[in-house]
Amino acid sequence: MSILWLSIGFGFVTASVLALASVGLSLQFGVTNYVNFAYGSFLTLGAYFAWTTLTGGHLPLWLAIVIGALGVGVVGVLSDRIVFRSFTRSGFPLFYLLIVSFGLSLILGNVVQGVWGPSPQFFAVVSQFPLHIGPFLLTPAQLVIIGVAGVSMVGVHLLLTRTRLGKAMRAMSDNPALAQVSGIDINRVTTWAWFISGTLAGLAGIALAISTASFEPAFGENFLFIIFAAVIVGGIGQPYGAMLGAVLIGMVTEVSAAFIDPAYSTDLAFVVLIIMLLLRPQGLIPAQGKA
Amino acid sequence: MSAVVFYLATIVNYFFIYNILAWGLNIQFGYAGILDFTYITFMAVGAYVAGVTSLGPPQPGTGVVYILGWHLPFPIPILLGGLAAAALGLVVGLLAINRLRSDYLAIVTLSVGIILYSLVGNLTNLFDGFDGLVGVPEPLNGQVHLGVNTYTIFYMAVTGAVMVLLWFVAQRLLRSPLGRTMRAIREDVDVAEAFGKNTFRIRLWAMVIGCFYAGVGGALLVGFVGAFSPDGWSTLETFIIWAILLIGGRGNNWGSVLGSFLVVAVLSEATRYLPAIPNNAFLEPALRNMVIGAGLIVVLRFRPQGLLPERKANFSEVRTAAPGLEASHAD
Repeated sequence: MSILWLSIGFGFVTASVLALASVGLSLQFGVTNYVNFAYGSFLTLGAYFAWTTLTGGHLPLWLAIVIGALGVGVVGVLSDRIVFRSFTRSGFPLFYLLIVSFGLSLILGNVVQGVWGPSPQFFAVVSQFPLHIGPFLLTPAQLVIIGVAGVSMVGVHLLLTRTRLGKAMRAMSDNPALAQVSGIDINRVTTWAWFISGTLAGLAGIALAISTASFEPAFGENFLFIIFAAVIVGGIGQPYGAMLGAVLIGMVTEVSAAFIDPAYSTDLAFVVLIIMLLLRPQGLIPAQGKA
Repeated sequence: MSAVVFYLATIVNYFFIYNILAWGLNIQFGYAGILDFTYITFMAVGAYVAGVTSLGPPQPGTGVVYILGWHLPFPIPILLGGLAAAALGLVVGLLAINRLRSDYLAIVTLSVGIILYSLVGNLTNLFDGFDGLVGVPEPLNGQVHLGVNTYTIFYMAVTGAVMVLLWFVAQRLLRSPLGRTMRAIREDVDVAEAFGKNTFRIRLWAMVIGCFYAGVGGALLVGFVGAFSPDGWSTLETFIIWAILLIGGRGNNWGSVLGSFLVVAVLSEATRYLPAIPNNAFLEPALRNMVIGAGLIVVLRFRPQGLLPERKANFSEVRTAAPGLEASHAD
């Protein structure tokens, strides 16, 4: 029984990492209407940016996390401005954008490999004594991850419902042409969407690196399909669906590790993804016109 | 037999194999518009199945464990490799092709690739896990008994013969009613549906035939290299085949030939002239991959149809009769 409680506790941690990542992916997909296959590399970049700031710059951890996350936000904006925007402006069909983002992930992954080398790195904060919180057993770092994810989700909710920018994003997600004729500056909104998406990816990458103890150049890309699973289960292009999908996939992968070989627990995310695609491809909370 | 000849023969073997792989992806994407982001997984299945059916039973004590070990003679393992890849392609196609937007298809194929990668790595009884197969016998060398250098030249004839055979099949398919319907589906699924075509079944055919090509390519590769492990089929390798297809020109099998020549030349040759970078051994392969990624993006941006574009049928009389019936570009 205690193993079950423990794994539910870890489920919260994984769900938090996944929520950050899948909301970021979903936000950008909603606004631009194409999937960014370089998103896994964004996670990797976040972890390496923060790690370099921490170990090379000797800055405090919270500042390294902020710099790492915002750095990936800038990478997101640059990717859009330098690469994607020139394709969308000329009206290229969807599949070009998917292949271009696939190519971008190759470039970014190899930048990481070339700059930092292939050997695994780790954050020194990992070795901490776990605390008993109710039936759960969590380290302070894991509690911080849950806290950061919770605050970010509330932030995204307030952004989408209370600000002009967030409302413009939702409008673009529903109908880009109508949003444009209504006077929304779609270039500005797209830039912000990429910045927020990149920042959330950076945060998720750092959180993932801290919670899995070590990270290497491919770790974000290998995590990407779990993010896809969460996003598709929730309903693609839907930030709230992404949150729901993250909790579901996070719990499934961690709780199952109490019963089956943990080496296969992430494969269960894939099983959930396939069942979902066969039974309800539009996701639990479907978005109009996205499936 | 000089080292230069051996070296050239090695490159020619890779060139032939890349041609086969690129044609398979061309049948999937160039003909039928299927976004297969794990094409290399099907090549890997072909390589593994050909490997374990041409190897003898695993020897106790060597620590190398795998299934089957049938010790079959050439060309049966190559055929089995192609069929195994086609069977997996059928399963993935049944899961993913129906009713889904092309980005869902890309997501599912990419996920299938990552899952199979970790399964093959972790299930060590299957194909010896992350260590991989070694000592796969060279096809026909039990009969001809050649040294390494001479065998490489001999093997050019083997890959060349298979390549020519598959070339005729791909070209025949391109001009057949089935191939025409595939291209019609690629351009507009709804129009093809309206003409009464079973678009799901036809795209499934494209998926399965393309995977057969991938499997045969993988089987030829494992016969040539003699070893195969998960290192040989990362996402990067899928991307290389995509780069070959798109730089050369999708929908045109000659384009794939040009593309694989260019990419194989870049992969094996061009980066050796880069200045050596001291203290960083990882930078050179990383730079090479960045060049391939950036090269593909630039080609797509400025020559989206590739270097040798598809030759589209010209219905000039039809067009004058009904102006405005231009082919629309659906995704």
